[in-house]
Amino acid sequence: MSHRILIIDDEEDIRDVAALSLETVAGWEVVVASSGAQGLARAIEYPPDAILLDVMMPGMDGPTTLRELRKNPVTAKIPVLLLTAKVQASDQRRFADLGVEAVLFKPFDPMMLSKQISAALGWK
Amino acid sequence: MDPAEQDALNQALDRMWIKFLPQLQERVSILEAAAVAFSAGQLTDQKAANAAAHNLAGVLGTFGLTEGTALARELEIMYSREGGPDRSYAAHLAAIAGQLRTIVASRK
Repeated sequence: MSHRILIIDDEEDIRDVAALSLETVAGWEVVVASSGAQGLARAIEYPPDAILLDVMMPGMDGPTTLRELRKNPVTAKIPVLLLTAKVQASDQRRFADLGVEAVLFKPFDPMMLSKQISAALGWK
Repeated sequence: MDPAEQDALNQALDRMWIKFLPQLQERVSILEAAAVAFSAGQLTDQKAANAAAHNLAGVLGTFGLTEGTALARELEIMYSREGGPDRSYAAHLAAIAGQLRTIVASRK
């Protein structure tokens, strides 16, 4: 089944590899945004089935973007998966407490990213 | 995914590597310069070094360079320390930056 995924990440290389992976391996439609603010706009303009959200971004970071998504009735119920390069246990606990569907880690395996997302969201 | 599709993905990743190589090398340069500055007691932009290490930690493994991710993560931890890395790590910072340069150059 095809899905639309919104990737919000300020790092172009990560964003492009994730998009390539999801499009090529899973055949999903991918919408990208390079900042939290742009991501909020894209989520309204092109409602996705799930959002892959970077944690560390300049300006509006991932947790702040998540709070804004939850405030808006149009985007409040969209599943969000955090994407982070932080591996310290204290960070992981903090991110898990934000109420997201899953926390995924960079670096990711381009062959496996769509499978990780599907598993986290119960997609077949 | 069948072998042909996997091959197509690998080829696309190789093209992306070429596209992003200049900015990855630039991040390594930032880390090399930071190590030199730190050694001289003149590290002024710890934030830039931390950001460069953070990016490399996140991206190198995605291109199969897992050792690069581990080394960059080590630098990220040191540069994220309040007040900067411990003085005793000056040579270590330079050595890791040099290893990252070699690892990035090794991927074709």
